[in-house]
Amino acid sequence: MSEANASGLAETEVKARALDLKSLDNPRAMKLYRRFDGIIILVLFTFLVLGIQIQFTLTAGDWDYWIDWRDRRWWPLVAPFSLLLFIAPFTYGIWERVRLPIMATAVTTLLCLVSWLSRYLNFYEFTHFPLSFTFPSTYIGLGILLDCALAISRSLIVSTLIGGGLFGALVYPINWSFMAPYKVPVEFNGMLMSVADMMGYQYIRTTTPEYLRIIEESTLRTFGGSVTPLTAVFSALCGMVVYAAFLWVGYKINGLDKFTKRIV
Amino acid sequence: MAKENTQTVALDTSDDSKVAGHFKRNRFAYFFGALVIAAGTGIRIYLDTMGFTVGTDYYSEEFQKYWMPVLYGELILLSSFTVILSVYCWMTRETDASSISKELELSRYWKLLGIFTVMGIWAGCVASNAVESDAAWHQVTIRDTDFTPTHIVIFYFALPFLTAMLIPAFIWTHTRIPAYMNKISVPFLAVVCGILMIMPNYGFNEWGHTFFYAEELFAAPIHYGFVFLGWSLFFLVPLAMQLIGNMARLIAETTADDYQPAA
Repeated sequence: MSEANASGLAETEVKARALDLKSLDNPRAMKLYRRFDGIIILVLFTFLVLGIQIQFTLTAGDWDYWIDWRDRRWWPLVAPFSLLLFIAPFTYGIWERVRLPIMATAVTTLLCLVSWLSRYLNFYEFTHFPLSFTFPSTYIGLGILLDCALAISRSLIVSTLIGGGLFGALVYPINWSFMAPYKVPVEFNGMLMSVADMMGYQYIRTTTPEYLRIIEESTLRTFGGSVTPLTAVFSALCGMVVYAAFLWVGYKINGLDKFTKRIV
Repeated sequence: MAKENTQTVALDTSDDSKVAGHFKRNRFAYFFGALVIAAGTGIRIYLDTMGFTVGTDYYSEEFQKYWMPVLYGELILLSSFTVILSVYCWMTRETDASSISKELELSRYWKLLGIFTVMGIWAGCVASNAVESDAAWHQVTIRDTDFTPTHIVIFYFALPFLTAMLIPAFIWTHTRIPAYMNKISVPFLAVVCGILMIMPNYGFNEWGHTFFYAEELFAAPIHYGFVFLGWSLFFLVPLAMQLIGNMARLIAETTADDYQPAA
C-alpha cells in the first residue's frame, strides 16, 4: 500500500503529478496534448450540434422556424428556456473541470451555424419556403453575455443571476434588427396585420392548422406596449431558475465520472 | 495463461512531413469520415430527389418500389454492421490487461478518438440535418404511416447508425484499453443507452401520431422523449474527462524519456 505524504496524497499520485508537470516542458508531450485537445474539441462540438438541434427543434422549433411565430409573449420565453436547459450541464462540467467559460457561446454559435444550414437545405431547398420567412434567430450575443458573466465573476451563482437573467431578458432586443421589417403594420382585405403575419397567411403550412400557432394568446389586451418588457422580466426569472436547476443536473452528471463492476 | 501482446507501436512518425504525417496518423478518421459523409450526402440527395415525387403515399406502387427497398437495405446493413462488429470486438478481446504496453495503450486511445471523430462527423453533419428535414416535411405533408421518406432517413438510418457505431466502440474500448477493462464506464454507457433508446422511443412518438394525421397540440409532448434521451449527451463531458485524465497521464509517461531539462 502506498504511503500518504503531508498533503494527504498517495506517493504514486505525487509522482504522477510531478510527471505531469514535467511533461509541460517536453515539446513532444505538448505536441501530443495539443493534438489531443483538437480532437476532443472537434468530437465534443460535433456531438453538441446534434444535441442542441434535437433539443431546440423539439422544444422551441416552431418559434424559430417561422418569422410569424416570433411574437412578444412566447418566443422570448420558450427559446432561452430551451437553450439554457441544454447549456447549463455542459457549462458546469467544462467550468469545474477545465475552467473554460465557453460553453454558452459554443452552443449558441453551433446552433446558429447548423440552423442556417438546415433552414437552407430543409426549408428552402426541400420544402420550398422562402428563407426570409424561415431564417433562424440569433442567440450568440446571449451566449457571450452568459460566458462573460462567468468569466468575470468566476462564480456559477453570480453567473446564474446575472448571465441567466440577461440571457432570458435580451432575446427580443438582440434579434430586433432582424425582425423590425417584419413588424411593420400592413392592411390586407380591411384587416390590420404585420408583414410577418401576412407571410404566414401566404405561405401555407398545409399540415399545421393556423390555430396551432401559439402566439399572443388572449382575448383582452390590457397591457398595451408593455407586453415585451414584461415578458423579458419573466423570461429573465425563468432563465435564472432553469439555468440553476440544470447546473445542478450538470453537477450530478459530472459526479458520475466513474466506473462500475456491474450495470445493475 | 493469457498470450502476451507483442504488438509494437510508434508514437509518432517524425520522419514524415507535417502534412503527410498528419494524414498518415489520421487515415482512419479521414477514410471513414469521408465514407460517412458520402453516405450521408447520397441519402440526402435521394431524399431531395425522390421525397416529394414518389414518397408522399405509402400505399402507392412507387413508394413500394423506391422507398421500401431503401428501408429494408438500411435495416439489413445497420443490424449486420452492429452484430458483426460487436461479435468481432468481443471474440478478439484482450484477456490480460497487464500485457498491454503503455505505448500500445496510448495508440488505442488515439484510435478511440478516431472512432469518435467519425461518429461526431456523422452526428454533426448528417444526423443533425436529418432532424429538421423531418420537421420541415411534417409542416407540409400528411403523415400516412411511420414510413415517410424523412423517417426512413432519420429514424432508420441517421440515428441508428450512431448506435451501430457506438455499441461496437463501447465493446472495443472495454476489451482493449486497460483502464476500461473488467469494468464499465458509467458516462460511456449512458451515452450509448441514450442514443440506443431513441429507437424504442420512436414507437411512443408514432403511437401518439396515430391519433391524427396532421400536426396537433398533443403532438408536442410526444416528442419530449427524444429531448430527454438527447440529454444523454450531457455525459460526454465526464466521458471526455475520463479520456483526458487517462491520456494525459499516458502521454506524460510515454514521453518522459524525451525530457531534456533546461540547463
